Amino acid sequence: MSPLLASVGAETETAFTMPSINYYAIAPILILFGAAVVSVLVEAFVPQRGRRPVQLVIVVGSIVAALAVTIDLRGTRLVTGEGAIAVDGPTLLMWGALLVIGLLGALLMAERSIDPLGDAFAPRASALPGSEDEQEFTRRGFLQTEVWPFLLFALTGMLVFVASNDLLVMFVALEVMSLPLYLLAGMARRRRLLSQEAALKYFLLGAFSSAFFLYGAAMLYGFSGSVSLVAISDTLSAKTGEGSLVAIGIALLMVGLLFKVAAVPFHQWTPDVYQGAPTPVTGFMAATVKIAAFGALLRVLYVSLGGLRWDWEPMLWIIAALTMLVGSVVAITQTDIKRMLAYSSIAQAGFILVGVVAASPQGLASALFYLVAYAFTTIGTFAVITMVRDASGEATHLSKWAGLGKKSPVVAAVFSLFMLSLAGIPLTSGFVGKFGVFAAAIDSGNTWLVIVGVVASVIAAFFYVRVIVLMYFSDPTPDTASVVIPSAFTTIALTASAVMTIALGVFPQWLLDIITQAGVFIR
Amino acid sequence: MTELMPAEGVFSLIWLLIALPLAGAAVLLVGGRRTNAWGPLLGVLTVSASAVLGIVMLLQMMQNSPEQRTFDQTLFSWVFVGGFQADMAFQLDQLSMVFVLLITIVGALIHVYSLGYMSHDRDKRKFFGYLNLFVAAMLILVLANNYLLLYVGWEGVGLASYLLIGFWQHKPSAAAAAKKAFVINRIGDVGMSLAIMLMFVTFGTVSFQGVFGVADQASEGTLNAIGLLLLLAACGKSAQFPLQAWLLDAMEGPTPVSALIHAATMVTAGVYLIARSNAIFDVATVAATTVVVVGVVTVFIGAIIGSAKDDIKKSLAGSTMSQIGYMIAAAGLGPIGYVFAIFHLLTHGVFKAGLFLGAGSVMHGMNDNVDMRRYGALRKVMIVTYVTFAAGWLSIMGIPPFSGFFSKDEIIHAAFEQSVLTGVLLIIGAGVTGFYMTRMFIMTFLGKARWEDDVHPHESPKVMTVPLVLLAIGSLFLGMALLYWGNIETWLEPVVGYEAGESPISTTASIALSLLAVGLGVLVAYLMYQRRAVPIEAPHGSWLTRAARNELYGNEVNDVLVVQPTYYTSRWLVWFDNKGVDGFVNGSAAFVGGLSGRMRRYQTGFARSYALSMVGGAVLVVLALVLVRAS
Amino acid sequence: MNPSSYVVLSALLFSIGAIGVLVRRNAIVVFMSVELMLNAANLAFVSFARMNGNLDGQVVAFFVMVVAAAEVVVGLAIIVTIFRTRRSASIDEPNLLKY
Repeated sequence: MSPLLASVGAETETAFTMPSINYYAIAPILILFGAAVVSVLVEAFVPQRGRRPVQLVIVVGSIVAALAVTIDLRGTRLVTGEGAIAVDGPTLLMWGALLVIGLLGALLMAERSIDPLGDAFAPRASALPGSEDEQEFTRRGFLQTEVWPFLLFALTGMLVFVASNDLLVMFVALEVMSLPLYLLAGMARRRRLLSQEAALKYFLLGAFSSAFFLYGAAMLYGFSGSVSLVAISDTLSAKTGEGSLVAIGIALLMVGLLFKVAAVPFHQWTPDVYQGAPTPVTGFMAATVKIAAFGALLRVLYVSLGGLRWDWEPMLWIIAALTMLVGSVVAITQTDIKRMLAYSSIAQAGFILVGVVAASPQGLASALFYLVAYAFTTIGTFAVITMVRDASGEATHLSKWAGLGKKSPVVAAVFSLFMLSLAGIPLTSGFVGKFGVFAAAIDSGNTWLVIVGVVASVIAAFFYVRVIVLMYFSDPTPDTASVVIPSAFTTIALTASAVMTIALGVFPQWLLDIITQAGVFIR
Repeated sequence: MTELMPAEGVFSLIWLLIALPLAGAAVLLVGGRRTNAWGPLLGVLTVSASAVLGIVMLLQMMQNSPEQRTFDQTLFSWVFVGGFQADMAFQLDQLSMVFVLLITIVGALIHVYSLGYMSHDRDKRKFFGYLNLFVAAMLILVLANNYLLLYVGWEGVGLASYLLIGFWQHKPSAAAAAKKAFVINRIGDVGMSLAIMLMFVTFGTVSFQGVFGVADQASEGTLNAIGLLLLLAACGKSAQFPLQAWLLDAMEGPTPVSALIHAATMVTAGVYLIARSNAIFDVATVAATTVVVVGVVTVFIGAIIGSAKDDIKKSLAGSTMSQIGYMIAAAGLGPIGYVFAIFHLLTHGVFKAGLFLGAGSVMHGMNDNVDMRRYGALRKVMIVTYVTFAAGWLSIMGIPPFSGFFSKDEIIHAAFEQSVLTGVLLIIGAGVTGFYMTRMFIMTFLGKARWEDDVHPHESPKVMTVPLVLLAIGSLFLGMALLYWGNIETWLEPVVGYEAGESPISTTASIALSLLAVGLGVLVAYLMYQRRAVPIEAPHGSWLTRAARNELYGNEVNDVLVVQPTYYTSRWLVWFDNKGVDGFVNGSAAFVGGLSGRMRRYQTGFARSYALSMVGGAVLVVLALVLVRAS
Repeated sequence: MNPSSYVVLSALLFSIGAIGVLVRRNAIVVFMSVELMLNAANLAFVSFARMNGNLDGQVVAFFVMVVAAAEVVVGLAIIVTIFRTRRSASIDEPNLLKY
């Protein structure tokens, strides 16, 4: 029985006792949550013109504050909220990564000088696409400032998600994280039909998957009488005989989590949503949701189901292999760069899964490193995509990237760097990440999975390098897009991600040290 | 036993050898057009500075006793995770020393030559940037003290080569050649990465010291597997059978690139890899024998292709393949062959660079025409090129006292020590070498002029001829110098090991035999090309000539064995609408492309079908778990 | 009555919901099917709470209701926007993003 809920249940017998909560340990969550609430109030009470600066201050300020507290918390290793929240090394590491990436994502979303019409979001999401109302809103220069509370709520959800130590908190966090993202996906200023379609698909499939998660949680509760990860683990080792309830529970729980990490066969939402969502949002969620979902997946597998690793490992082997292969193979024939990167993110999820199924401290460390490296590279990639435009907005069709290396050598070089990193070429962060997960997998005896991984990464190298070839080895055509010089917002985000991509490739040791110190999940 | 010396004094600057060209590349590639005026000079300077530094290190190294010539410099711990460690660390020993000198000195000469050759190119700053990048990567490759860092250099030279082959991307053939080189090298890279992982699993380390220290404790099967994987990597990089097809197409790149990368340095990385891994190949006998077979087969493939091509650069490329075949074969012989493989690599690096630059000089004067049937009688107008090319020609045929004589003869002699068959085959190979090189020489410089109407051949500028002269001097003296003055066997012995074997025939006999074979080859070529007029249109030729012109149907063999089956398989898979599949019909890529085109169709765009696949996946996951738990 | 019957019922409801998602075209009905799945989980939680003899499951059910309500808000917002744009609530019609 979970201690938090025990205290509620105990009310019938004794007086209500306050749950003990270490407020400082969860201060990053509280700061972001408070800021999100304030941000909603700003939407209600601050006049239209003043909202954007106020919101920006709130967003940046709260993220920086939360980051400062997270750094100050380093070394903390405790379970609080009566067993509901675990603040341990991996949690803090992922908090840090989520907050930094979230900040970079916020910078991308704040960018206003790339698109002549304003930022990346529709002035009023409720206005009909192409209607007179919408043109009027655009002409008046309205900006959608509601994206900021969404961003903050989503980040709050992610922080709770990676720290949640019982299935109920995890489910609530999953929804707090996802609901704002569904809405953000539908708010693009241009190509609104695509954006709305992305939001609809993301929402319906996301809700569908969380229903699976919840039903899985119900089964595990039925088996163990508790939703706490630790209690489930204890019951699993105590009662070994019972089969199907546990099997169904674990399987459905996995479906929910694997959906979020975009593993095959639960990946099909990814290309559609990545392509349709506004590019800054795509970058933000591609990077952060991956961290958050893998964080939760790792915690469930290591804390709760560690004793059953022989049961779930074969399933995850196959899913990891499928994910790597399907992602890499299908990406090859894509013609839209956002869609191609979506399939690439599926393939990358497969590579991370290789580290996850290693089911060892080394596997955990390698997966964490990979996640951080991937997140920085990804957000940088999408930052570049926001800048490559033609008259109709972002030029996402690959043919429009032909000869970009001649027109804008620096941006093309930075993009090539990201592509090389995603392909796992040495001296980029992607190489260290791939090497780490493969080494961990070999160490735990999954050599065949590594062979599949190497083959998949060879296939993947084709489409990453194809973009480089297209940019440098083709001549610009009249259709070739041009690069818009962004304001400081995007420049900072892009520079930071490029620097991290190189730094983690050449000097990865500092992050590896941090990860080593972070250790394993608390039980 | 060699001891590991701390990198002190001048050796504390090992990193600078790499940093100089790397900085040059960074400045040139990031600086953009601003560097147009002085960029190429900067490129030359950085490589020359590395060369000077290398020479200083050589002199310093010679002061030490042979056991104290291995210097180790650890910059920082690069990756250290869960028992796995790889450092950003360099190891300078006798083997890497000679490579450093080859790369930087030949590299510097080729940089200088490029000043003239590329003087009219709009993007020459980029060209020098790539060249500098290549030199830096190649130095990383030979200076690394562990396989992981070696792999970094390995990928780096691949990238630079890829960029340089496609440098004239406005030609579709150049872009296609770059792509082909990339695809084939990927296959080799798979071997490399699997070898590294297997080493890590077996030995728990990937550093040279660590692996070689315990290599003999692993099972022979594992070592053979590692050896064969390393050989696969070497085949890709060094254009050895069956991964040789890319090198001929790589000649689409500018000629200095062919000289530096596709003759002198990068393509010999495979030989370096095998010689460096001698501790593995000494035990892995199956792998070592395979190395010899691959080498000998490639000697013939390259020589036959070289005999039939009318394109001067492709003929030289065939020759490169063939000569590297000699080195690979020698490296497979074991301790009797390693030093001679490296010896031949050094002399070949110099004389082949000279030959390529000579070819470039000819092309420079002939409006970039590469067809030898439109050359002839150039000895009168290009006297320096003629004389220097002659030095390379004599050297590659192995005429005493030119460099190639000493190195190739040592390899043939060592081959006899292992088996008579190998020795005889290599002697026949030398005969074919005599034939095709004489053919090339006669068609280009002797005979009657067969120039196109508007061509006015002229000697190249000084900046191009001076490197030619220096390389020609190298072709003449380097062999003698290394063998008699440098004592190459004793110099390399502490690193790669050396033992003289028992040969069934005497040294004199093997020299006589190979000279006889070469003489025959020269005679045939003389009769065919000097005594008879060379037709401008290529004659129909025998079946062998035609086969050789078609690169021994290497592409077709690839096509029948790999492309066609995969193509039909994928056609069968993509039995409906295959239009989405574009491009990517290169080897197994066709299969992947076809598969991809079919699989993306499952992404129907209907949310309900996505939900269906989720439900299907969920059912499978449940079944899998229930089954696993039940069992 | 044996509480395990309720678990069986909840499994039935969950399956009906899942099938509803697969076969219905109207986005609202699809969404209602998802809600049915969530409520099936709620029923399972409550039944298990009874069987396990603790209140955790009942508490979870309340949380899930709140979450489901929030989901309705977001879901209807998205579906209504799509409906206004396309004059149709069919989920097969938005089909621009594919392959």
